[in-house]
Amino acid sequence: MPEIVNIQGLQKTFGKFQALRDVTFTVNAGEVVGFIGPNGAGKSTAIRILLGIIKRDAGMAEIFGKDVWKDSLEIHKRISYVPGDVTLWGNLSGGEIIDLFLKLHGRGDQQKRDYLIKRFELDPKKKAKGYSKGNRQKVGLIAALAADSDLYIFDEPTSGLDPLMEAIFQEEVEKIKEAGKSILLSSHILSEVERLADRVVIIRQGEIVETGSLDELRHLTRSTVTLATEGDVAEMAAVNGVFDFEQKDHQATFSADHKHLDDILREASKLGVKKFESVPPTLEDLFMRHYEG
Amino acid sequence: MKEKFAGWNILFLLYLKRDWKKMMIWIVGLGLFSAAYVPAFEEIAKGQGLSGMYETLQNPAMIAMVGPTPVETGAEYTLGAMYSHEMLLFCGLFAMVIAVLHVVSHTRKEENLGLTEIIRSFQIGRQANSLATMMEVVFINVLLALLISGVMISFGVDTISVEGAFLFGASIGMAGMLGAGIALVMAQIMPASSGATGSALGIIGLLYIIRAGTDISNVDLSMINPLRWTYLTYPFTENNWMPFIFALIFSLVMVVLAFALEGARDMGAGYLPEREGRERARKSLLSVRGLFIKINKGVMISWLVAFVMIGAAYGSIYGDMQTFLESNEIVQQMFANSEASIEESFTGTIMVVMIGLVSILPIVLVNKLFAEENRSHLSQLYATRVTRSQFYWTSIGLATFAGVTGILLAAGTLGGTAITAMGDQSAMGILDFLAAGFNFLPAVLFFTGLAALALGWAPKLSKAVYVYLAYSFLLNYFGGIADLPEWLLNTAIQSWIPRIPLEDFDLLIFVTITVISIAMIVIGHLGYNRRDLVEGA
Repeated sequence: MPEIVNIQGLQKTFGKFQALRDVTFTVNAGEVVGFIGPNGAGKSTAIRILLGIIKRDAGMAEIFGKDVWKDSLEIHKRISYVPGDVTLWGNLSGGEIIDLFLKLHGRGDQQKRDYLIKRFELDPKKKAKGYSKGNRQKVGLIAALAADSDLYIFDEPTSGLDPLMEAIFQEEVEKIKEAGKSILLSSHILSEVERLADRVVIIRQGEIVETGSLDELRHLTRSTVTLATEGDVAEMAAVNGVFDFEQKDHQATFSADHKHLDDILREASKLGVKKFESVPPTLEDLFMRHYEG
Repeated sequence: MKEKFAGWNILFLLYLKRDWKKMMIWIVGLGLFSAAYVPAFEEIAKGQGLSGMYETLQNPAMIAMVGPTPVETGAEYTLGAMYSHEMLLFCGLFAMVIAVLHVVSHTRKEENLGLTEIIRSFQIGRQANSLATMMEVVFINVLLALLISGVMISFGVDTISVEGAFLFGASIGMAGMLGAGIALVMAQIMPASSGATGSALGIIGLLYIIRAGTDISNVDLSMINPLRWTYLTYPFTENNWMPFIFALIFSLVMVVLAFALEGARDMGAGYLPEREGRERARKSLLSVRGLFIKINKGVMISWLVAFVMIGAAYGSIYGDMQTFLESNEIVQQMFANSEASIEESFTGTIMVVMIGLVSILPIVLVNKLFAEENRSHLSQLYATRVTRSQFYWTSIGLATFAGVTGILLAAGTLGGTAITAMGDQSAMGILDFLAAGFNFLPAVLFFTGLAALALGWAPKLSKAVYVYLAYSFLLNYFGGIADLPEWLLNTAIQSWIPRIPLEDFDLLIFVTITVISIAMIVIGHLGYNRRDLVEGA
């Protein structure tokens, strides 16, 4: 699979502050990659390096096999970008700004522009100074989605949008995904990433701490198991790979380490299983585990 | 009443605490600006200065700028009369403009920002904020008036009487209240803070232009113009308190009207609908150049208009120059040059002043690119195929265009009005004025180059270019009076350029400074292309 985005050992320092220590990940063709991490972890810094807005100190960063700094213009012909906080010129209308962005992008689709303006229920005649945060964000999203690109970079694109609009954004992203485009999606809304992303990259303090498909990541962590047995369920507490054991009558709830799942099942069946439920961890659980642990 | 104004005193104290630095600058700055030039005027008044100045200010163009005086002959023109004649209108205008900006920023702007919303969720009356703001403005303007009066009295000049000084200070303070009243009304009518500021300043500008017309044609007609009530009090001559009373009543009416309008509207709403924008962009907007022209249009037009006005103002002096210059030693010294005529000498000096002003606009335009970058306005554009070079050269191009146009307008109107004012005696043609102006083109380019250099390599220093401009401006302005050493004068770029028509054009210097400027622009480009862009820092 050809790599659309390829970042290896990326580093960036602002003064004394090391914003990126070691960032390595890829986005493959036709893939949606979720880029998650808490505030200040270095997500936007990495994205700005990809866009050629700031220059890396060390490491490699390529898009479409081209250097993001030296060949930024070649790259920019085929990408779209939405920042997390879209700021606009107050005395221009939303419609004018979208037209300007599309023109400067070069591959804007007028029909799609009009369709998206309707879909997102944006009033294009209103001056930008009158827009709320959510409406400014819509302007940025429409301008990006109405342009024909091969890679879409979204930096917390839905901040300020209501859940309805968030859902519309997700639908539109699914459409471009089906059309075979690649997407790098940085987001705090983990349900959004869970729904859209094929792969997740987790960054913490300028370092990538986890990367893989959601399934792979889930595998690394524990599921929540609810178990009821005929025998004394308390015996399960001592089994290898059982954590956070809690018991209520004949029913127990605990975290099960996937590596020891076989042991746990074998021990449980000795007690006579009446009920067995296993819930895989949500992205939120994964996220919390990385940041609290 | 309680429902409306509860808690205004809390907000009032909060504002005093929040604004005390701003208030200090406002009161002390404007106060000294208004009152402290008395010694300088004493210098001008020496010898035949007073009657010379009187003649100069009888020129209709000067009346259009500073207003009339009730004094009938040059012999009766006292220092006090001259001071209030020349200073009162302008100081009053300043007081008005500052008050407008302040009132809108505390009322409509806070409403736009959503601060008012939070405040109103507490036990604060619906109109307490407006009342607190107006009280603050009253407080400030009373202090301002007292400071001005006090400073003027402290100079102990005979013709600056105590009553006159109080009237002078009170007139300026009242001008502030007029501005505040107009601003508060517009803050209710307009749908957003920028509209409120713009329309209030527009009204003041309109009143200023109308009074220029009526001052020349018929002073009595000016009496119905609120702006005139600030300076028709004629301190130190007639000491007429009537206009002051009119202004007081007018301000009160404005405030009452504003409160009525505010009481009848919803928060965040106005009486005029927000003007709708275009659904689709015009073709002319759809490029980097189109965008930059659009976002810089306002500031460019205002400055260019200012250049025309300044050119016309200085140009109108030419007619009476001989009288004026002969009467005054200091001014003579400034324009001392035995070989040339006084008009030529004046042109050479005044051109340096105007070029200093013209140089501001290109710096503003180059710095605008960094301002846009810093406000993250360009984030989404960086990710398009637009190159950094395009952003850079578009800004430089616009700045150069503004510089050339600025010189053309300033020198052109200076020449145009000067030739008209001198009539048949004119020894200089319009081309002489334009040559004198464009002779300084390298200086303007030099400042553009400095700003470009800062933009490319040290954008945080972009404001420092203004400091250098102000420094070199002052050096040139006062260089003629104080005997400054050559090397010090030469730290200002304008000093290198010969003053046409006094001196001969120097091609070598013209070309050298131009090349240095272009080099700075090119080096700035290298930096701009490789530095990290700064967003939201």
